[in-house]
Amino acid sequence: MEMHQIRYFLALSDTLNFTQAAERCNVTQPALTRAIRALETELGGELLRRERTLSHLTELGARMVPLMRQCYESALAVQSVAQSLRKGETVPLAVAVSHTVALSPITQILREMSRAFSGLQLKLRRGSGNEIGEFLKSGESELAIAGPLGDFWSRLDAFPLFDEPFDLFVSRRHRLAGKNAAQFSDLTEETLLINSQCEMVDDLAARLRAMNIRESRTHQVATQDDLLTLLGANLGIAIVPVGAVGSQNLVRVPLNDLNLVRKVSAYGVAGRRRSASCTAFLNMLRAADWGFVAPSETQWGMH
Amino acid sequence: MAERLRSFAEAVRPTDPRFSAAVDALIERLKETGAGSTAPRVGDPMPPFLLPDEQGRLVALEDLLAEGPVAVAFHRGHWCPYCRINISALAQAEGQIGPDHRHIVAVVPDRQKFTAWLKTDAKVPFPILTDMDNGYAMSLDLAIWVGDEMRKLMISSGWNPAVSQGTENWTLPVPATFIVGTDGIVTARFVDPDYRVRMAIEDLLAALRSAK
Repeated sequence: MEMHQIRYFLALSDTLNFTQAAERCNVTQPALTRAIRALETELGGELLRRERTLSHLTELGARMVPLMRQCYESALAVQSVAQSLRKGETVPLAVAVSHTVALSPITQILREMSRAFSGLQLKLRRGSGNEIGEFLKSGESELAIAGPLGDFWSRLDAFPLFDEPFDLFVSRRHRLAGKNAAQFSDLTEETLLINSQCEMVDDLAARLRAMNIRESRTHQVATQDDLLTLLGANLGIAIVPVGAVGSQNLVRVPLNDLNLVRKVSAYGVAGRRRSASCTAFLNMLRAADWGFVAPSETQWGMH
Repeated sequence: MAERLRSFAEAVRPTDPRFSAAVDALIERLKETGAGSTAPRVGDPMPPFLLPDEQGRLVALEDLLAEGPVAVAFHRGHWCPYCRINISALAQAEGQIGPDHRHIVAVVPDRQKFTAWLKTDAKVPFPILTDMDNGYAMSLDLAIWVGDEMRKLMISSGWNPAVSQGTENWTLPVPATFIVGTDGIVTARFVDPDYRVRMAIEDLLAALRSAK
C-alpha cells in the first residue's frame, strides 16, 4: 500500500465521488482512478462500486476504511515525531492517570521521553475515572491511563495495556497477615475499606454480594492514597489492584475464588489530532512489556 | 543464509498445499502492483525515525547516523521463521562490520515482549525496534495488508501477529533492507515483496562497509 493511494481512498470514502475526491487530493481524476485500481489489485478485491451518479463502498471497502485510516494516521504520526525531535522547542505532554493506577511502571517511559524530547514539559493529573474522563473531554489532558471507563463517552479511543488482578491486602499487624491464602468466609467479620471512586467499585461490590459479604461493614474513602493509609493503620482490609500497592507495611493474602481482573488502558479522544509527544508516549505505552505488572499474561506465539 | 531460507521454503511447501497456494497468490498480487517499490531508492533521503528498542529505550536514526552508516532491516515479526533465519544470520555477521561505528538495526511491528524474546533467542547484538501499527513502514510505502484468506490460514497455523503487534489491523511490512550513509542518503536497498527472499548478508556487509 502506498501513502498516496490510501490518502486518495480515504478522500473517496468520504465523498463517494471520483471528481470531488480528485479535487480534494489535488490530482487529476485518471491519476486517482489509477491509484485506486492499483490498491484494489493489491488488496485483492473491489473497494468501490462505480455508478454514474453515486459510487458506493463494497463490503471490503467499508471494512478497509478504519484500517486505512489507522495506517495513514500512524504513518503521519511517525513522521511528525521524528521531525519534532530536531526543533528542540517546548514539547507539552498532558496526561491524566487514575489514582488507582500506580505511577511507578510509567516513570521509566517518562524518563525515556524526556531524554528524547529535551523540551518535554509534563502536565500530570490524577483523578477518579470520571474526573480523568472529564480532563480528556475538555482537552485538559490529551491522554489518560485508567481501568475500565465504561460507556462514559462514545468518542473515547481505548488502547488496552495490561490486565491487572485484584487481591486482598491487609496490614502487617492484621490476623490474616500470616496466612498463605484467605477464603471469602474469612471476610465476614472484617471491615472492608472501599474506594468509592475506583473504576471497578461496582464490579467489586457485585463480587462481594455474590459471595454473601455484607456491605454494612465498610469504610468508604474517595482516593487510593487514603485507602492505603487506612489499610496501613489496620482500620480495615481491602481488595485492590495489585499494582497499586507499594507499601512495605501491607501484606498480600491471596483470596481464593476472587477472580477479579481489570483491564488498564490508555485512552485518547477519537478524531482529535494527537501531538507528536503524545503519539510517541502512547506508542511506548502500547509497545511496553507490562509483564512485571501482570505476569500472568500468556506469551502467545513463542515457539 | 539464502540457502537456509530456500530449504525452509521447500520444506514447508508440501505440508499444507492451501497455505503455499495462498502465499503464492498474495506474493503474485504484491509483485504485480510493485508493493514496496516506491520506498526510498538509492540517492533518496531516508526518513528519520524515533522508535523504542526491546528495553524501551528510544532510538533515533539521527543519533545512529552521527556515529556512522546504518543498515535498517525491516522484519515481519518474531513468529516468522524466515525473519528468524535472517535475524540470526545478521546477528552472526555483525562482528564483520568492521571496527568503526557502523550500526545494524532491525525494525519489526512486534511489541517489546516479543522483540526482547527475539533478541535473546537469536543472540542479537543490535537493537530491535518496535514500529507500532507499522507506522514507519507505512510512511515508506512498505506496509501490506495480509488479507482475509491469508489471515485465516495464519491463525490456523498458529501464527497470530495481532497478538504480538497489539493491533487487529493485520498489516505487515515488506521485509526490506536499506543502507544509509551518514548524510542520511540511501546508498543501497533491497526490497522484495516475496518475504522468503532477503538481502544477501555479504551484499549487506559490503554495502555497509563501503557507505560513508
